[in-house]
Amino acid sequence: MICKIIHSARLKRPPLASRKALPECSSAPQIRFVYTLIALVLMLCTQAAFAAGGGKTHVIELWAEKIPAGVEGGNDLFAYRMAGHIIQEGATETNVTSRYAAEPTIPGPTIVIDEGDEVMLTLKHVFDPGNSASFEQVSVHVHGVHYDIHSDGTLEYINLIADESATPTMSYTYHWIAAPGTAGTWAYHDHNMITLNGAEDRGLYGALIVNNKTSTMALNKAGNLKTVSISSIKKEYVLFIGDDAFWGTEIDNQTGQQTSLWENPTLSAQQGSNVRFHLISLGSNTHNFKLSNYGWIDPGTNLIITEKVIGPLEKHVFAVQAGQSSQYKDDTFSSNSLGMKGNFNVIP
Amino acid sequence: MNSIVFRFNRKTMVALICFMATLFFSSIALASTTHTINLTAETLPNGQFGYKMVSHDASNQNYPAEAVIPGPSLIVQQGDTVNISLTNNTGVPVGINIPGILEGAAEAAAGGGSQNYSFTANRTGTHPYYDEGSGLLGLFGALIVNAADGSVQSYVDGDGTITPTDVADLDKEYIMFMVGSTFWGAEIANGTQTPLWTNPVLAATLNEVVRFHVLSIEHDHTFHLHAHRWLDEVDPVNQGLAPHIIDVKILTGKADSHAFTVKAGTEVGAGMWHLHCHVVSHMESNMAARFRVDEPGAASGISVAGASPYGAILLSPNQNDPGLVTFEISDEPGSWFRSTRSDAIIDPAGPLGALNIKTRSLEVMAPGSSAHFIMSDTNAVHTITTLIWPSDADTENKHDIPFDQTKAYRGGGIVQLNTPGLYVFTCKIHPYMFGAIIVDDPNTQGLDLGEAIDLVTGIQGLPTTSDLATRLLRTFFVVTAQQNWQDYTSATPWHVAYPDVPVRLTGGAVLNLKTVLENRYGQDVVLPPLSAPTTAGVGEVWINTQFEKTAGKTKPGTITVLDTANWTIKRKIALPSINMNHPHNMWTDRNQSTIFQTQWFDNKLTFINRADGQMIDNIQIGDSPSHVMTMPNNDDITVAINGENRVVTIPAGTTTPASSIATQMPGQVPANPHGHWITPEGKVVTPNINTSDTGFYDGSSGQILARPAAGGNFPHGPHPIAVGVGKDKVYTSNLLDHSIDVYDFDGNRLKTINLIADYDPVSPTGPTTLTDKDGDGLVTAGVLPIQTPVDPTGRVVVTANTGGTITLIDTSIDKVVAMLPCDPGCHGVNFGAKDGGGYYAYVTSKFSNRLIVVDPDPNGDGDFSDAVVAGTISMADNSAATDDAVVSLAGMGGQGVLAIPNVYNGWVQNLPSEWQTGLTNAQKNAIP
Repeated sequence: MICKIIHSARLKRPPLASRKALPECSSAPQIRFVYTLIALVLMLCTQAAFAAGGGKTHVIELWAEKIPAGVEGGNDLFAYRMAGHIIQEGATETNVTSRYAAEPTIPGPTIVIDEGDEVMLTLKHVFDPGNSASFEQVSVHVHGVHYDIHSDGTLEYINLIADESATPTMSYTYHWIAAPGTAGTWAYHDHNMITLNGAEDRGLYGALIVNNKTSTMALNKAGNLKTVSISSIKKEYVLFIGDDAFWGTEIDNQTGQQTSLWENPTLSAQQGSNVRFHLISLGSNTHNFKLSNYGWIDPGTNLIITEKVIGPLEKHVFAVQAGQSSQYKDDTFSSNSLGMKGNFNVIP
Repeated sequence: MNSIVFRFNRKTMVALICFMATLFFSSIALASTTHTINLTAETLPNGQFGYKMVSHDASNQNYPAEAVIPGPSLIVQQGDTVNISLTNNTGVPVGINIPGILEGAAEAAAGGGSQNYSFTANRTGTHPYYDEGSGLLGLFGALIVNAADGSVQSYVDGDGTITPTDVADLDKEYIMFMVGSTFWGAEIANGTQTPLWTNPVLAATLNEVVRFHVLSIEHDHTFHLHAHRWLDEVDPVNQGLAPHIIDVKILTGKADSHAFTVKAGTEVGAGMWHLHCHVVSHMESNMAARFRVDEPGAASGISVAGASPYGAILLSPNQNDPGLVTFEISDEPGSWFRSTRSDAIIDPAGPLGALNIKTRSLEVMAPGSSAHFIMSDTNAVHTITTLIWPSDADTENKHDIPFDQTKAYRGGGIVQLNTPGLYVFTCKIHPYMFGAIIVDDPNTQGLDLGEAIDLVTGIQGLPTTSDLATRLLRTFFVVTAQQNWQDYTSATPWHVAYPDVPVRLTGGAVLNLKTVLENRYGQDVVLPPLSAPTTAGVGEVWINTQFEKTAGKTKPGTITVLDTANWTIKRKIALPSINMNHPHNMWTDRNQSTIFQTQWFDNKLTFINRADGQMIDNIQIGDSPSHVMTMPNNDDITVAINGENRVVTIPAGTTTPASSIATQMPGQVPANPHGHWITPEGKVVTPNINTSDTGFYDGSSGQILARPAAGGNFPHGPHPIAVGVGKDKVYTSNLLDHSIDVYDFDGNRLKTINLIADYDPVSPTGPTTLTDKDGDGLVTAGVLPIQTPVDPTGRVVVTANTGGTITLIDTSIDKVVAMLPCDPGCHGVNFGAKDGGGYYAYVTSKFSNRLIVVDPDPNGDGDFSDAVVAGTISMADNSAATDDAVVSLAGMGGQGVLAIPNVYNGWVQNLPSEWQTGLTNAQKNAIP
C-alpha cells in the first residue's frame, strides 16, 4: 500500500519510537493504483534528493553560561556558547567550531543543517548556580525538527519521563532528526531553568536553520516575484525580537562564519546581493516588524508584504535583494517608546 | 494556481466521481442544509457563564446536556443556512458575534430574553463565536464550516508528505480556546462532543489523524505543540510556491482562530507532549495543557478533563471532580479580585449568603481544585502573585507555589491548590489588589486557615494565630469591602464587617473569625471629628481621590482640589469624557498652569488646565503610568511607566513623548519603576518594584548610573515604591520590607532605617507586640511605608505607612523621631507652603475620605519630635464645582497629592513671580 511504500522508501533509520502499525489506506482499489504510481515517482525523486543531499550527522557541544549584564544591581543574563561542532559525513569528519564566536552570545550559535541531517547535541551546564536550586537545570528544547520524548528538553513534571536537563554535574544529549518536511528556521531554547517554563527570555535561545538545498525561495524584485535558489543567498541575518530589543547574528554564507551583533544591530549587505532575514520573536509581546523601503514575500503565499505581526516563538523568514539602505523596527507602542530599531546598511 | 493544502484530495476525487455518477442516475443535486439551533446562555455554579445546546435540527452531533465552556461546537457545511435562537438565562445581556459572519447583532436581554441570529456559512474554516461583553467569562465557542466536498486541512506526515485529508479521515477533533491564561478544551469524536474544561490532557493513539481548532478572544496568544508541525492556513487564492510549515501560531485581535491537522506522534513517537501558549507571561501563569500520544492499546487515546466550574468548590453539589473558583481582575475599587459568584456570596439573602463572607474577594474550595483569574474588567497590566500561602504548600506544590510572573501582562492565570490553608493573591504593580482562597479540607472542623503561613517577603512558618497573620487578615477584609472603609462624613462609628465563620488555626484551634478579629482589633470605633488647621496654607492642594465614583463613567477616580486659604473643596474633576481611570499622581509645569495626571489602571497621561479644570489633552504613555514629575532644570515631564520598563520624557510645553530612559539593560527583567523623584542635579531616581533595587539614571543621557539593592529586613521582595530627595540624600521606602533606604546622590547606600524595629510580628497580639525594642525611647511602627518625600529644606522625611501611621525621620540623624496616627491605607504625602512660613505635609489614605494635614515643626525650631496633626479635612463634598456627579465612595481612595505652588527645592526657584508673592523668603529659598 501507498503509505507503507513511502515510509519504507524514505526512512533512513528505524523510527524514533516503536510503532505498532502503519496507517491503513482505505481508498478504493483503483484510486490506490493511481496513488501507487504517484508514489513510485515520488520515491524516485526522493532518492535522488537524498543521494544529492547526503545525510550528515552534526555532533555539537553547547555550553550554557552566565554572562554579566554589566551594571551593578542588574540581573545577569544567560547564553549558549558553541563549544564544538563536528560534521560527520560517511567517514569524513569536519570540525567547524571556528565558525562560531568563542564566547557565549545572545542569540546563541545559529545551527545550520540540511534537511536529512541529524544532530547529536550535548549540553553542558557551566555556570555556578550559586545558592539557587532553581538554576541547577538547563536544557535545549528545539522547535520544528523530529525528536523523541527523551529529547524534548522538558522537566519530568511535564514529560513524565525524566528531567531532560544538563546540571552542574551532568551533561545531557539531545538527538534531533531534520526529517523531510522540517526544512525551515526554528528556535531552540531553554525549557527547564528557574521554572518549568525555562529561562528562554533570559538569553538562552538561538536559531536552527534547516535548509533544503535543492529548494528555492521567492523574492520580491521591484514588485515582481522572482524565484532564487537558496544557494544564492549571500548573508543570513538571525534577528530575535525580544520584548525590549532585537538581538542579532549574521552569517556569511561563503565562509559559514557567524558574527554576533548583539542588541538592535546594524546590518550590512552588498548592494545587489540576496540576503535572508530569519526573524523569531521571544518573550511576551506581540510585534509588528517593518523594514522601510522593502516589500517581501509572506512565506507560504504569493503576497508581497511590508510589515508582519509576529508573536512569541513564531518565525518569519524572507529574502530580499539588497537595494537601498533602510531601517528595521518593531512598530508597536512600547517598542517605539523604547527605540527598538536598527539600520540596514546597503553598501554600493 | 494549485492549492497545496487541498491538492491531491482523494476524497474530492471520489466525491466528483460519485457526483457524476449521481447525475447519471438521478436528478438530485447537492443542496445546502438549514440548521435550526436553540442555544441558551447560563450561569454556571462558580459564577462563570456558558452556552448550552438545547436543540439542533439537522445535526447528528451528540451535545453535552449542560452549559459548557467552550460552548457547543456548531458544525456545518459551506453554504448551509444557520438560524440560532438564543435564550439568555444569565443576569447580563448576552449576544453572539462571529467575526466576518455575524457582527453587531442585538443581544438577548438579561433574565430570560431571547434573540434570533441568522447567517449563511459561506466561509469555510473555524470561526469563534462569542459574547461581546462577557466573552472572557465563558461565552465563547467554535463554528466549524467544513468544505462541501469534506476536505479539511492537510497534514504533514512524518516523511514530509503533505497528506490531503477528509473530514471522514479525522479520528478526533479538539477545540482549544485560549482565554486569559487558560486553555478551555473540548473533544469531538464520533459525533459526540465532550467538554474537557481547563488545561486538559488531550489524548490520541499514535498515528491517529486529529484536527486542532485553536481559538482566542481578547488577548494575544501563540499556540505551540511540542514535536509536531503543521501547515499554516493560507487562503487558496494566495497560495505560494512552497507550503509554510509551522509549529507556533499567533492568535491576535478581538477574536481569532487557527485550525490544523496532525498525525499524532508521527515519526516522533508516543509521549506526553507539552502544549502551551508561548507568551512567556502566559506560560508563567500556567497556560499549558498536554497532548498525550499513546501506543495503541485498550485504554489509549482517552483524554482527561481539567478543573471545571461544576466541581468541588464550596456549596457545589459536585465535590468529586476538581472545581474552579474564578476571580475577575477588575478596576472596581476594593473588588480588584472579584469572584464571579460574588453577587450570590455577599447578598445575605442570596444563595450563598449563609456563608457570611461579606467580601467579593474571598473564595472557598476543596483541595485539588483550582483558582482561576481572568483580566476581564481592567484596562491595566497586572501580575497574579501569591502574597501568602500555607507553609507546606511550596514543597507539596513546588512548581506552582509561590505563584508569580516575571512581568506585568494582560491575560489571566490558573493554579491548582492542593494544600489546605489560606492563599492570598495580589498584583505586584498595584499591591493593594487582594484576592483570597481558603482551601478547605472537608474532613476538618472550621475553614482551614492552616497551621502557619509563608509570606512573599521571605517570612516562613508564621503561625496563623500571630498578630501579623490576623492583622493581615483584618487588612484584607478592610481593603476588599467598600463598606469597611472609614467614612468621616458618617456619624456612625467605624464598623468592619468580618465573616462570621469558624476557622481552624495553629494547633487545630477552631475559633470564630469575627470574634478573633474583633477581640484583637476592636469594633465600632468612634472616628475623631474633622477639624481644619487654624493656620492657612498657601495656594491649592490637588488630591487624587482615586476611588471616588461618579455618574458619567464606569471607571473610578476624581481629582479633588482643596483651597488652603479656607480649607474648602473648590472643585472635583472626574473627566467622564475620557472615562478617567484611577487618577494616581500629579505634577505641574513651572507656570503652575497645567496639571499632569497619571491614570494608574490605564495607559494614559492627562493634561489638565489648572485654572478651570478642563482637559487639555489625553495621551497614551505606557502601561500603568504611576508618577509624573518635571525636570527641575528644563521643565521636561518625566513619567514612570510602572507596568513596564522605563521612564518616558515629554519635552516641556508639548504633549508628545520624545524619548525614554530604560530602567534596565536590554534583556533584563523589567524594573517596573513606581514613584520616582529627581535630584537637583537632574538624576532620575526610581524605586524599581520588580527588581528590588533603586535606580539612579542620568536624566539627560538616559544612562544607568547605579542600581543599588533595596531593603534589608526581607530581601526576598522589599518592593521599593517611592522616593524622596533631600539636600544631599535620597530616601526610598520599601513597602514589603517596612524600611527606608538612605542613599547619597551616587547611589551608595548610607543606611537602612527599619520602621518595624519595635514590632513583634509573631506573637499573638498583646502589650508586647509593640514595645521600644530598639531602645531609642520611642515606640514607633511604620508598617508598609509608601510615599516618603523630604521637606523642601531637606531636614525631615514624612512617610505615609499603609498600616495606619505617619512616621517622621530627622535627616540629621536618619532616625524616626515621631509617629502620628493615620487611616487605613495611608498612602500619599507631599509638602506645601504654610502661610507665614514653614510647611504642611498633606497626607492621604486610600480607605478613608479625609486628608490629614501634618505640621512637622509647629514651633519652627527644627526639632520634629513635636510634629502634630494640624487638621483634618473631608474629601467628600457634593457642593463643589464638578464635571460629574459623585455617586458613591465619596472622597475615598486618597493617593497622589500635589500642592500648588510647588515649593520643593529645585522647583520653587523657578516659580513665576505671581506664585512667589505668597511665599516667605525662606520658602522661596528653601536650601540657601
